[in-house]
Amino acid sequence: MSVLAQQLLLGLLIGGLYGLAAAGLSLVFGVLKVLDVAHGELIMLGGYMAFFAVALLGLDPFVSLLLVIPLSVLLGLALYWGLFGFVVRADEETRVKNSLLIGFGLALALHALAVRLWTADERSIITPWGGSVISVGGLSIPVVRLVSLAVAFALIGGLHLLLARWRWGKAIRATAEDWQAALLTGIDVRRAYLLAFAIGTGLAGAAGTLVTIGYSVSPSIGLEWTLKALIVVVLAGLGSMIGTFVGGLLLGVAEAASAAAFGGPYREVVGLVIFVVVLVVRPRGLFGR
Amino acid sequence: MSDPARRHERRWAAAILASLGLLALLPLVVRRDDVLNFVFLILLSITLAESWNIVAGYAGQVNLGHAAFFGLGALVARTLWIDGTPIGLGLAAGAALATLFALVIGVAAFRLRGAYFAIGTLALGEILRTTVNNALPEISTLSAATIAGYRLTQRYYLALVLAALSVLVVAALAGSRLGLGMRAIREDEEAAEASGVGALRLKLTALALSTGMAGLAGGVFAFYHISYYPSHPFSPHWTFDALLMTFIGGVGTLHGPVLGAVLYVVLKEYVALRWVDFHLLIFGALFIAIVLLLPGGLVQAAARVRRLVQR
Amino acid sequence: MLEIRDLEAAYGDIPVLSGVTLSVGPGEIVALLGPNGAGKSTLLNVVAGLLRPRAGSIRFDGADLASVRAHLVVERGVALVPEGRRLFGTMTVEENLELGAFAARARATRAAGLERVWALFPDLRERRRQLVRSLSGGQQQMVAVGRALMTNPRLLMLDEPSLGIAPRLVRSIMESLAEINRGGVAVFLVEQNVQAALGLADRGYVLESGRIAGHGSAADLLRDPHVRRAYLGPLAVRE
Repeated sequence: MSVLAQQLLLGLLIGGLYGLAAAGLSLVFGVLKVLDVAHGELIMLGGYMAFFAVALLGLDPFVSLLLVIPLSVLLGLALYWGLFGFVVRADEETRVKNSLLIGFGLALALHALAVRLWTADERSIITPWGGSVISVGGLSIPVVRLVSLAVAFALIGGLHLLLARWRWGKAIRATAEDWQAALLTGIDVRRAYLLAFAIGTGLAGAAGTLVTIGYSVSPSIGLEWTLKALIVVVLAGLGSMIGTFVGGLLLGVAEAASAAAFGGPYREVVGLVIFVVVLVVRPRGLFGR
Repeated sequence: MSDPARRHERRWAAAILASLGLLALLPLVVRRDDVLNFVFLILLSITLAESWNIVAGYAGQVNLGHAAFFGLGALVARTLWIDGTPIGLGLAAGAALATLFALVIGVAAFRLRGAYFAIGTLALGEILRTTVNNALPEISTLSAATIAGYRLTQRYYLALVLAALSVLVVAALAGSRLGLGMRAIREDEEAAEASGVGALRLKLTALALSTGMAGLAGGVFAFYHISYYPSHPFSPHWTFDALLMTFIGGVGTLHGPVLGAVLYVVLKEYVALRWVDFHLLIFGALFIAIVLLLPGGLVQAAARVRRLVQR
Repeated sequence: MLEIRDLEAAYGDIPVLSGVTLSVGPGEIVALLGPNGAGKSTLLNVVAGLLRPRAGSIRFDGADLASVRAHLVVERGVALVPEGRRLFGTMTVEENLELGAFAARARATRAAGLERVWALFPDLRERRRQLVRSLSGGQQQMVAVGRALMTNPRLLMLDEPSLGIAPRLVRSIMESLAEINRGGVAVFLVEQNVQAALGLADRGYVLESGRIAGHGSAADLLRDPHVRRAYLGPLAVRE
């Protein structure tokens, strides 16, 4: 029984990262109606940023977030100006299709670039206090992953507040709901798009950092994390960052449960199956509008 | 499609088939295995790209699960063949299973629109790959006797026939009422539905043709390799390759995927000499440029150049 | 104040407006009438910057408005209450109104603007924290007008404000518009309800198949037999 509980706990811990990974994608998709399937690659790049920040600058792994997030935001600005800014010129349906294709090309290019620059090897960040564990009622909670979960939650909470209170956060929400009405209210919709995309990329960078801290990073994690993020976005639906976070937790726990029930190798499959089922049966997702 | 465009395509079809005919003579002239392997890869890629093109270019849906059918064809053909079934039957069985599977999931999958269909099929492909990977993690090898009887030329001709077949199927489709109906859906699904085109049936037909060919290609792939991992043909990179080749060449045209396939394999082999996987950086960037600037791919670019020259 | 000359507009290849010329003076209330599909909404959308015209000119206070992007049109002082209201349903009344003050020209006057809206629509003050999608059609219309008013406009354009609203509420909305106009805001009104529109307006134009088919003072238009036959129905001819 406690073995199962332990598994579920670990699933919950990684679920927080799934939620964070999905939040950026959800924001971009909800606001720009752009499906950035290169999101996983952005997470991967964030992970490498963190790795080098720690390896070259000697920063504490969690402190490296302070560097990675702004860098990722800048990357997001560059990607919007250079690429996705053009995609949003089309109508919604074309936009989604084009962004899918373009995201695909971008993912391939970024993946190949990463392999070229950093080889296909896995990199990991060793935290000085890594490996330490808190014991609570027979369960051992890895401290690093617990802190990661807390950070992920804090970031999501911060995002929620940003969207609720910040002037431009409200503008972003308005744009997501009805961009023409937003224009008529005096909101520069293109700037709202830019901000949303930059924030989304920043979140991806943060997710990548936490992934590298808790697990590892390599060029091939891109596709894997894009799929995780997609699954959570579809599961949770658009429109609520907290809902997305919860969706991530659910996925993590579901994976752990299925691994416990059917064996480790089938962990990946359950998420994908949930994904397809939800897509076909209830595309709006659990919490979506 | 306008008449001059149709005639243009037919001329290309003839040229391609003629080239394939010439390639039939290659093994008689060249004894080198590496050349035959290279051309084999091109031929297989042509089939992969043209088969993917059927759903994307003619029915207008981006199927990111194409590798699943390639893999299924490979799995069935290989299993039967190792068991002693003649390869012809094995190939047919592989294609049949791939098509059947496609039809079953197609009914559900086609309820999804645009991007959702794409990511849904991607997920399905991954489900299959992971399951096969877990169920059959060990490498599949051939018996010594089979290896002794291995003839590369046999595989070569199979791939050649398959490539020719895929071109013929697309050519027949393009000119037929079926193809016209599909194109109507691709242009505007709602309008096509309203005019009674029976969208679902057409899409399923396109899917059946596409996955059947992919299944055959998978079977040939399985017949070709002496040893490989059963989950390898299920890898999404086969789908992505097909996507790249088709789009860069010109999605929805007859000769685009062929051009794209040739270009892709040639460049990949050339670049791989120096940097592995770097061809993907080039093609990724090229792909983005094409989606944004030149959705008709190289075929469209060539058409523009021709018009410029004619002036 | 607003001068439109020989305006041509199209959706893709389909022409919608040709050779439209009209004007709205400061402090005026001008109505735009016409059958469905005549292009009235299109005209408003073009002025608001949501659609680029093919030809012709739009000038506001003498400066070109045709090439100005939609959110900057709001900055110039032209606000549109679109057809169907287009509110932000997941936000509250207050949030919708506050977003109206997003533009720079309106930010300074936000508090005063809010008071103005509460004064005009007392019902909304009680419901300020209510989610907009839970309001009735009439109340939503009030929020829509209020939101546009928050942009601190000099010209307020409305696309079918009475659509889907109960008749007695229509009168109350028209009265609110009159009140807004008395406060110095010009009003340009597209309306199916010709009676209500001409009752409120000083002048009117008639748009048919993308062209101006008639114009004059409201009183003149009410008496015009073509207008009466086409838009006021057999009952009105009695008068």
